[in-house]
Amino acid sequence: MLVFAASDKGGTGRSVTSANLAYQRALTGDHVAYVDFDFGSPTAAAVFDVPGAMRGTEERGLHSYLEGETAEPVRIDVWRQTEHPLLRARPNQSGRLVLLPGDAGGGEFATGEEALERCVDLLLKLNTEFDVTFVDLSAGRSYAVDMVLAATAHPRMSNVPFRWLVFHRWTRQHVIAASGLVHGDHGIIGGGVLSGHDEDTLRAAVRFVRAAVPDPESAVWSQGSTAQATWMQARDEALRRLAAEHRIGDSVVLGIVPLEPILQWHEQLITEEDVLSTQIANKETLDALEEIARRLTDDTHWGRL
Amino acid sequence: MTESVFSETAAEPRTQSVPLAHLSLELGHLYMEDFEAGPERLRAHFAEVRPWAEAARAAATARAGGKRPRISTCFLIDDYFTRFSTPAEVVPMLLAEAERAGLGVDYLARESGCAVTGKVPVAEAVAARIVESPPPGSYGLRPPAAQTGWLANGERSPVARAPQAMKRAVPWQPPHETAARRHSIFLDVELWSDDADGVRTWSCPFLAAVWQLARLGLLRNEGEALLAPQPHTAAGFPDKWDELPSLLRLNDRAAPFSAYRTCSVLPTRFLPVEHAVRVILDQIEADPAALEQVTDRSGREGMTVPPSVADRISYVYYAGH
Amino acid sequence: MAPRQSTPPAVLACGEIRTCLLPARQALDIRSAAQLLGLRPGERVLLSERPGLYARSPDTLTGVDCPLPSANGARVRAVGTVTAHAALTEGRVLQTSAHCRLPGTGPDQRRPWGEYLVRPGVVEPLGKLPHEAVAQGVLGGPRHGDLDVGLIADGLLTRVLRHPLLDQRPPFRSRPTRLRWAALPAAPGEGPSLERFTLAEDELRTVRLRVPEGTSDAGIAALCDDLALHDWLLTTVVRMLDGLRLGAGAAQDADAVVRTLRPAVDHLLHLWMPGARVGRRLAALWDPLEERPGFTRQWQALVQRIRDQLTLHAIPAAHREVEPAP
Repeated sequence: MLVFAASDKGGTGRSVTSANLAYQRALTGDHVAYVDFDFGSPTAAAVFDVPGAMRGTEERGLHSYLEGETAEPVRIDVWRQTEHPLLRARPNQSGRLVLLPGDAGGGEFATGEEALERCVDLLLKLNTEFDVTFVDLSAGRSYAVDMVLAATAHPRMSNVPFRWLVFHRWTRQHVIAASGLVHGDHGIIGGGVLSGHDEDTLRAAVRFVRAAVPDPESAVWSQGSTAQATWMQARDEALRRLAAEHRIGDSVVLGIVPLEPILQWHEQLITEEDVLSTQIANKETLDALEEIARRLTDDTHWGRL
Repeated sequence: MTESVFSETAAEPRTQSVPLAHLSLELGHLYMEDFEAGPERLRAHFAEVRPWAEAARAAATARAGGKRPRISTCFLIDDYFTRFSTPAEVVPMLLAEAERAGLGVDYLARESGCAVTGKVPVAEAVAARIVESPPPGSYGLRPPAAQTGWLANGERSPVARAPQAMKRAVPWQPPHETAARRHSIFLDVELWSDDADGVRTWSCPFLAAVWQLARLGLLRNEGEALLAPQPHTAAGFPDKWDELPSLLRLNDRAAPFSAYRTCSVLPTRFLPVEHAVRVILDQIEADPAALEQVTDRSGREGMTVPPSVADRISYVYYAGH
Repeated sequence: MAPRQSTPPAVLACGEIRTCLLPARQALDIRSAAQLLGLRPGERVLLSERPGLYARSPDTLTGVDCPLPSANGARVRAVGTVTAHAALTEGRVLQTSAHCRLPGTGPDQRRPWGEYLVRPGVVEPLGKLPHEAVAQGVLGGPRHGDLDVGLIADGLLTRVLRHPLLDQRPPFRSRPTRLRWAALPAAPGEGPSLERFTLAEDELRTVRLRVPEGTSDAGIAALCDDLALHDWLLTTVVRMLDGLRLGAGAAQDADAVVRTLRPAVDHLLHLWMPGARVGRRLAALWDPLEERPGFTRQWQALVQRIRDQLTLHAIPAAHREVEPAP
């Protein structure tokens, strides 16, 4: 299965969250690939803590691959090449976790017919090898979004299942922007239909992940005043109504990731160790990530609504 | 494959061989405009051809060490790009004018036979044998975008492409002939064009390259020889071009149609076409078994052929058109 | 094909093979295989039905003009053509194989291109070829810009995989492998020998051979195709069994075991036939591999394990006294 990670704007934690989902799936025994199509700022190497492995990938990353300058984009085996001490001991029974980085120093670029064919080649190849392939896309309407919409509508890809995760923060601006990214005039659905997708099928394959959501019930806020708590409840309610009005209400939400400093500030993978021993991450965050990872392939959370 | 008593026909390739003369001498091409210009045009053409045809015979005799060389003559009529008149009208006039000049035409060919013969898509099969000459720096990576339908003798100017954000676009660079001696003579040849319905028209130089391969005995389809000459048994010539065999033997005692080398006597207007033919032939991998047959037999006769196929063809150009 | 008379004797042959599962739900029958591998109109696809279905495409040529990889840093430029073909075994395992042979010396400068085309599969050095260093360079992996026959095998694989006949629904997940090989001349009077077979990385194998002068590179390529095919079978079945959580109890139900192992029975177990399509002299190079580590021995153990697992899990859980252990 292919999972496309998109977001309306930067700062949603899309890359770090989808990297965590990839990590969680690998822990359960799936073979997982993580493809960095965030062409403008290819940074996945930092999340997986593999900066050393990025040396010498200036000309052999995904940019070069799509432009036809290399036939086989670099693959980084995360378990083997990570500098993260906890990840290096690959957990027993875990599946492969492989990162396909962009070129170090690559930039956003216009893609053409040939790049599209190569993109299809790559996604098909990954689909034969990996149980789940995460594709992290540049924020907003980008060449990357256009390319994968066209790729998944390509006749060669007609038997390859795919799903979209759209990440957004829990604010008025982000809710409106995320809805626009999906349902707007030139949004994912509209653009997808132009590329040859069936509108209903495509819509059924899109779910939202609310990121960096402060939980009013959480202990973190229990120190605040009653007035603050009431205000937070009310704002949360208002946002939910706004989301529903914009067709991104609770029924199409795959999961909610709590506000988590470790994701916001350090952009790293959250391990069980971070929760249990050092306690720098919240258990709720890890639980949320595990649950979203599980729901990715749980059909009861997908389909037409 | 295993050396054993067991064998499977479909698992073992074989390649038919063809009879070979020493020289295939082409006495001309006929296009519609030549025909429309009347018999005088043909008469003038054959008058120009005759001394050069004799010179070609003399050269072949010298190459054969003074022995009598096997030489066959041929003539090509264009019925591919434009259809004009009928065989019944054209062929007798053509033969009469050749005879008047003292030239005998052994084989008559139709150009459309170089595109498709019977059910065999000859031109398509030859196109599949193109192996482009690699510019220096070709290390095995597929060229990003080969210009389909075109073949060059070197590297084209890079196409201006939108660069990655914040990278600089590449300035114009000249094309470069791979075999250039200091300066380039760059040639880019159109091999075919497709119309709106996807119907393909092969270019004149490409069909001429197929024609040369046929004359050199190097054309095969699934191992079978193509464009085998048909004897001329009927009294006259048909009213439709399609009823005329692609390659017709007019002289029963003629030397074989295909030969170790070819020579064509043509007016100078064909010069650009034939330059293009060389560019194409230089990048076609002829059937290896057919090549081997030619090399072996010419070697045994002491008439060694040049290794490169393009070097086996020659031309004489006379002034005019 | 026998080496052409005009070709000086080769002092090095090298190649690379990609092996992968055909991405199609059903194995292709022999007619579809011929369609898939008809890379050149006008040239036959070789089809063979004994001892198993096997189809091989006509050879395709790719022109190269670049430095050769070498272990000692010498940058010898070479020009010529690399031969490649695709092959399908039992309509299920797809291989693309690219190879070339290199004479010991060549002209000082590049010849007209047509002269290379009459010697298909020959890559000729400009000047003298340091063949031992180049063999080492080939096996060690070319630097960017050096001759890379693997790219040619990969390009052909990409081309075949784009064929509309393929529904892109492989029956199980698997990984492709690469096998790089280099063959150097044997000492005078010596027969062919397999010097080294290395499992280099996850997906890369390297093979170093010695062959007597005049051994056809097509024959060597056939041997290496055969080694690559069987190594891929072993690798793939080992990984299939690795994916099982044997003894995990109820969490891993019988369904999962059957789901994981059944594709091996359906698609792979009948493919093991080492040496079937290799000339007799070169087929003998299988012997040392059969002795140590014993490819066929390992294969038989895996096959037995798969059959045992399937037998055990075919028994309903209620009647099972002990959980099967690895």
